[in-house]
Amino acid sequence: MIIGIDVGGTHADGVLLQKNTIVAKNKVVVDQDNLGDSIIYLLKSLLPKNGSALQRVHLSTTLCTNALVSGNLDRVGMFIQAGPGMNPDFLRCGDNVCFLGGAIDHRGQVIRGPGSAEVKKAVADFQRSGIDSVGIATKFSHRNSEHELWVRDQLKSEFTHISMGHLLSGMPNFPRRVYTTWLNSGLKKRFFEFKDGMKKGLAALGIDCPCYILKADGGTIPFVNACDFPCQSIHSGPSASVMGALALVGGDGDAILLDIGGTTTDIGLFADGIPLLEPYGATVAGRPTLIRALQTRSVGLGGDSRVLWQDGGFHIGPERQGPPMALGGSVPTPTDAMIVQGSIEAGSRARADEAMRMLCPDRDTAETATALLQCFAERVHEKVDEMIEEVFSRPVYTVSAFLEREKITPERLITIGGPALALQKVLEDRFEMRCVVPEDFEVANAIGAARARLTVEASLYGDTATRRLSIPEISLMESVGKRFDMMEAETRLADTVAMMARDMGAVTKPQIDFIERLEMNTVKGFATTGKIISLKAQIRPGLDEEQE
Amino acid sequence: MTSYMPKASRRTGLVLFPAFDWCISPSHPEREERLLYTKDQLIEEGLEDVTNIEFFNPEMALEQDIDRVHLCVPSAAELMTHSHFISAGGALRAARAVMDGEVERAFAIVRPPGHHAMQTVFGDRGFCVVNIEAIMVEYIRRHFGIRKIAIIDTDCHHGDGTQDIFYNDPDTLFISMHQDGRTIFPGSGFLHESGGPSAPGYNINLPLPPGTSEDGFDMVMDRVVLPLLDEFEPELIINSAGQDNHYSDPITNMNFTAQGYARLNKNLNPDICVLEGGYSIEGALPYTNLGIILAMAGLDTLHVREPDYDPARFQQPSDMTNYIEDLCAQATKLFADRHRLQKEYADQQQVVERKQIFYDTTGFRVAETRVYHLCSQCPGTSEVVAEGLHKHIHGFCVPFNSCPVCRKKARDSFAAAPGEDDTLTVLQDRVDDIFEKK
Repeated sequence: MIIGIDVGGTHADGVLLQKNTIVAKNKVVVDQDNLGDSIIYLLKSLLPKNGSALQRVHLSTTLCTNALVSGNLDRVGMFIQAGPGMNPDFLRCGDNVCFLGGAIDHRGQVIRGPGSAEVKKAVADFQRSGIDSVGIATKFSHRNSEHELWVRDQLKSEFTHISMGHLLSGMPNFPRRVYTTWLNSGLKKRFFEFKDGMKKGLAALGIDCPCYILKADGGTIPFVNACDFPCQSIHSGPSASVMGALALVGGDGDAILLDIGGTTTDIGLFADGIPLLEPYGATVAGRPTLIRALQTRSVGLGGDSRVLWQDGGFHIGPERQGPPMALGGSVPTPTDAMIVQGSIEAGSRARADEAMRMLCPDRDTAETATALLQCFAERVHEKVDEMIEEVFSRPVYTVSAFLEREKITPERLITIGGPALALQKVLEDRFEMRCVVPEDFEVANAIGAARARLTVEASLYGDTATRRLSIPEISLMESVGKRFDMMEAETRLADTVAMMARDMGAVTKPQIDFIERLEMNTVKGFATTGKIISLKAQIRPGLDEEQE
Repeated sequence: MTSYMPKASRRTGLVLFPAFDWCISPSHPEREERLLYTKDQLIEEGLEDVTNIEFFNPEMALEQDIDRVHLCVPSAAELMTHSHFISAGGALRAARAVMDGEVERAFAIVRPPGHHAMQTVFGDRGFCVVNIEAIMVEYIRRHFGIRKIAIIDTDCHHGDGTQDIFYNDPDTLFISMHQDGRTIFPGSGFLHESGGPSAPGYNINLPLPPGTSEDGFDMVMDRVVLPLLDEFEPELIINSAGQDNHYSDPITNMNFTAQGYARLNKNLNPDICVLEGGYSIEGALPYTNLGIILAMAGLDTLHVREPDYDPARFQQPSDMTNYIEDLCAQATKLFADRHRLQKEYADQQQVVERKQIFYDTTGFRVAETRVYHLCSQCPGTSEVVAEGLHKHIHGFCVPFNSCPVCRKKARDSFAAAPGEDDTLTVLQDRVDDIFEKK
């Protein structure tokens, strides 16, 4: 049996699953300042009678998101090596920054190392300001992590927490690497405390099964490992809802997920039944990062969005001004329209009618309600179209990829959230496709958290001309033979991913996919000197099949 | 909201298409690897996340876009691969992004290049089959009604293809700065090649001595390019942005730098850049391309330096500076004399030019005769007869700015021309966007 818990802004939902079936579910109000207590309280109410039947606990938590929103990050000392390129001044993540000299180039070759004097001075400065968490990020460290490792070695045991860019992601994009490293460093202490608190709470409940944290990419990571990568737990809410939709509806083909709430609608996309990932990573509190994340878009359209009538049309959202009029609010909302239509039974029907009359005084209220919800569907449709276009516009770099590009062609809508059923028909009409509203959608996120499987990603960069091989996610750098080829690269990387999965508690052999395969001859003068091989492998986000 | 990424002061579009699966031959300079390190650098810099920088995928150019400019023998479709259509389409996408106001500036970092492709095309010349700038220019004129355009060719090799296509067009100011043709392919690009009878002085060549450095290029910009642009007042400035003047380029002998390229583009302020040559793929292109992009976007370029950059190495000898100074004076005079020369040609009805065009990639020659039919009201029309690889073409070409009388004459001549079996007879009318074969 598995317990899945999804902590939201005001409530936490939990489910107990046995072979994918809900055995128990519960919802509690969350005290964001004492997150651990709320979670333990909810857990207790879900525990099976026979405690030993519980195999795992999966947790999607707002801990890191809250820390960010409330500005409760630890102060971080950053070591940044930018080398030639853009002026790196904008990367100053706070007051404690050491811009290192030296550089590594685009092919991972060392141009010049950083100096030990500059590191020493920064260490002293950081210590004087009472800093205990340090981040190290160098340009092209996904190709060569030597300088990041060297700086770490200089720090010895002067700081409790150290984060290095290359371990957080094997993707390119230096500014994102810097922000990811900074964020991770700023969250570490808080996450450790959270883990200790949870550990005690779990022990008090007599739970000794493994505990996993849900990540932004819709996968899980063991609680213990998450302590090194706390930033990955950011944005786990939207990823729980995507995985929940997958668990509740399943199926292949392209699909659109709409999670319609009070203030926002979150849009997700499935291509051939697989949730789409962001090309680089999530944007967190305005900062682009390399935190692998499912691609979701949040738009300010919800059941409780404020509605205005202006210039002959409805304007819905993006803000919310209190509850719907039928429930005691003062501005018309889409929920009022649903109440007028009778698709939601709540509050005062008379007040809901009044809301419609406020918008269009001379029109039949039922007509106004219908028109308003059609407008709502239209807005959602526009946003979905934009998102599909954006996915289609992702850059391609080869002629064959250019010629093979295909747009996502969704065959159905999966809609969850409070107003889902009330909007089913109008969405079906606008999108001209089937709209599925799964049962138990109110606990979709908790189910998503419970069913999500472990995900792992690793990247390989091999250059037989310079004889270098790098797998950043495990800090691997070694020399490589002249004959190293794609087949060997695949074996090597698959073994790495399998090993990483095993270390994180995977018992069965995972399904590993290769992505972004690139193989290219290097030439000097008019002779071939070697080959550059670049490859990524992943256990992609999906549902855990062990329980089936 | 605080922004955590730099913001470009000018909205700038990039069409980055390195065509990793296309090459002329595996060890040719124009090979798959060419833009690998450039792409790696641009992505690692995080340009995709810079506010006001936007990436666009290329599109496929249409045969119509090609036929508007070239006379392809036997046809565009037979000479071009998908890569050529996408490369030309990349330039078109960049142009449309600017013309539609999606961005203010755009740079098409695409390959294969195009500036050695002339009006008649029998095959690959200097790594180019079709002229992607010229295709872009005529596309802009056709779809956006722009007339006066300046093309500044900053590739190390003379932009002989672009020169050939716009040679008689007084609405196109073409300036090419390049390594002296006596020392490098294609062996042309001298001062006296200064424009056809309807456009004397509108084709300016600046053959620079091998070893020209930052000072030399700065001088050419300050003394020739910028003053001429001021006077010509183009509606649009295009940089034919080759990057093989770089000191590390393996097939040229110049001494230019990433800092120099960035400064040149900052001063030139082009609306659209299109990548041309540049074969120091590891030591130069990642930095020169980045420098150009940042300059276009109005961002700080000071940190864009090659790992081995040392300003002391780029001091130019004074006799070289004097030579370039003299060159600048002659070029300026050519342009200043343009109206006088135009008057001198005005009485002639037709001017005939003959030339041999060498296709270096596979090694063959084309013999070409071009007859300019002049007019006092417009730049006139031209008639081209070319023969190579045992194929013949006879083209009647009406430029976008010709008058109705000339247009009718050209059409009548085309209609009257004998449609011989072994000759491709073509009417290319840019006014009505007609391309007709018989």
